[in-house]
Amino acid sequence: MTVKIRFFARFRELLGTDIVTEVVPGTMFTSLITTTARKNPAGYAAIFDEKGAFHEFVILMKNGKRIELTDAAKTPVVDGDEIAVFPPVAGG
Amino acid sequence: MIAIQTADVDIGALIAAAKKQGTGAVVVFDGVVRDDDITEMELEAYEEVAVQELEKIAGEATRQFGLLHVDIIHRIGRLTVGENILIIVVSAGHRPEAYSGSRYIIEEIKRGVPIWKKELTKDGGRWVPGEHGHGSGKSR
Repeated sequence: MTVKIRFFARFRELLGTDIVTEVVPGTMFTSLITTTARKNPAGYAAIFDEKGAFHEFVILMKNGKRIELTDAAKTPVVDGDEIAVFPPVAGG
Repeated sequence: MIAIQTADVDIGALIAAAKKQGTGAVVVFDGVVRDDDITEMELEAYEEVAVQELEKIAGEATRQFGLLHVDIIHRIGRLTVGENILIIVVSAGHRPEAYSGSRYIIEEIKRGVPIWKKELTKDGGRWVPGEHGHGSGKSR
């Protein structure tokens, strides 16, 4: 099955965006982002701390709806999902 | 009009259109690129979600403050010093509602709409830090 990962702002500069990737059924949100972010050490460090947990300021969305950082490890991705990962917003 | 777009807007035309029947006050907020020793500013949005969030904010402001009209136009792309970034036009029967509604809208945008700004300088660039406190992933 296929999902799309969208990084924004600083995360996008480090990791790219609109990454379409194949995942096996049962893949959890956190493990997918971890695997994707590991492709660039600076990108990984921007999103995760040294223990592999999300930095508290990271914001996650699944199909346009926010999900709790603490729920991400037990939230499976499903075919066609759009996952967004971004730093605190700064519009206006 | 609620929009995320690269193009600028005609604020005069927005004011004219905001004068619905019963209007006694129109408040315009115009956020512009400040000269903080930068060359340009680059703005980026998660557009689909940002537009939905702006529509929610406009609806909530209309309900809370009895607004007669709301426009929110947030620009993205590269902007130079002095250019418009964000234009909010609201109308209401009286000034307290118009001022309060406008203030509510800008504060809500800063709090949670997925838009980011990068200040470009002669030496490179720096992302404008966002306001923390919404990084827990909690819904608005």
